[in-house]
Amino acid sequence: MTTYKLVKNPMSGEIKSVLKDLNTQNTLSIPFDEANTDYQEYLEWVAEGNTAEAAD
Amino acid sequence: MSEIKVNSIKGVGASAAAITVNNTDGTCTANITNNLSNRNKIINGGMTISQRATQETGLGASNKYSTLDRYRLEFNNTAGRLTMSQDTDSPDGFGNSLKLACTTADTSIAADEFFLLTQRIEGQNLQDFAKGTSSAKKFTVSFYVKGNASATYVFELYDQDNNRHVNKTFNVTSSWTRVTISYPADTTGAFGNDNQNSLSAYFWLHGGSNYTSGTLQQTWGTGTAANRAVGISSFFDSTARTLFITGLQLEVDNTGSGVATDFEHRSFGQELDLCRRYYYNLAFQNSSGTQSLFNGSGYDSSTIYHVCVLPTPMRAIPTIEQNTSGSYFQSYGNGGSNSYSTLIILNTASTSIVEIYNGGTHSRGGGVSHFTRLNSATTDGKFRLTAEL
Repeated sequence: MTTYKLVKNPMSGEIKSVLKDLNTQNTLSIPFDEANTDYQEYLEWVAEGNTAEAAD
Repeated sequence: MSEIKVNSIKGVGASAAAITVNNTDGTCTANITNNLSNRNKIINGGMTISQRATQETGLGASNKYSTLDRYRLEFNNTAGRLTMSQDTDSPDGFGNSLKLACTTADTSIAADEFFLLTQRIEGQNLQDFAKGTSSAKKFTVSFYVKGNASATYVFELYDQDNNRHVNKTFNVTSSWTRVTISYPADTTGAFGNDNQNSLSAYFWLHGGSNYTSGTLQQTWGTGTAANRAVGISSFFDSTARTLFITGLQLEVDNTGSGVATDFEHRSFGQELDLCRRYYYNLAFQNSSGTQSLFNGSGYDSSTIYHVCVLPTPMRAIPTIEQNTSGSYFQSYGNGGSNSYSTLIILNTASTSIVEIYNGGTHSRGGGVSHFTRLNSATTDGKFRLTAEL
């Protein structure tokens, strides 16, 4: 099952990236860039009604 | 000194001139099919670059880029499984091929099943097809192919910007043969002039009736599922089934002849640079051993910020691919080191320079310079960047 967790930049406090499938052999750190296809996939996942785990 | 004055030079059995001479300005136009450069729209057509791995088994459950750079496998609802690898079986003049080997057959094909091998191409690299204009050019696809036995598959060009496609069958035998397929020009629907996926080049290797029950779409038309894979064999019909491909080329048919030019061989370095626009393997452990990543500095007692300058600008701000199931990363500074599991990309990263910080704490202190590498105690760490289409 796909899981996402939002990540906060410690310097600015902004949430501008997301981790996919954390603690696996293929974890993705995905930037919020509209041309990035992993980010496009994340947006589709959210549009389907899913919610990412909140940032620490 | 002698001189020959002609209007054109034509082959004895040809219908069009090979060389047409301008009678007044001293120039000519020629239908040259060899030694032209920068015409292949396919990246890694010679199957030389495999940054991810040279072999992967058990493929078939989900879509993924595997082994050879730029090639994506797409599946739907099939029980068939395969191994994909970079192979050395190749025709004369080539060193490598892409090999697919069926390991689990699927002879009960549901209507919605498919298996595709594809390469996605940015629209800004396709503008010379003049698609969607009155000057539109024909497309020529060529490749070398071999199987374990005779088979028929479909090669499809799918315009993702305008939902249009064109499809042609080709035959495979148990010997290496070069296939050339000519596709018509399309005066409808321009390719976007940007870094998005405008054209998907698909090998149709397995398909259910949802994709085979219509009439093959041999001229450009609106995307229709039933017309995409009419008449194909199934790659998953037997575990004996194999397929080798190399020398894949897609080019503008500037002469309108439908003739493929010679395969455009690029150097290994040139091809690797082209591939790194989409995928960059910075470090990967096949076994234990350290591998350097980048330098950084302690922002505070928790965070180390790193900068990674990329060898070539990537298509988009990349995603980090990493193994985070253990402490795979280790940062050294101030006479000691800390290991941690996760590296995170900063939103201030660009397509040329990536800024990264550690997802765990460290105890070296703020203001300390660090160098970071894969942990010498681990055996399957990786740090890779992807900006695939």
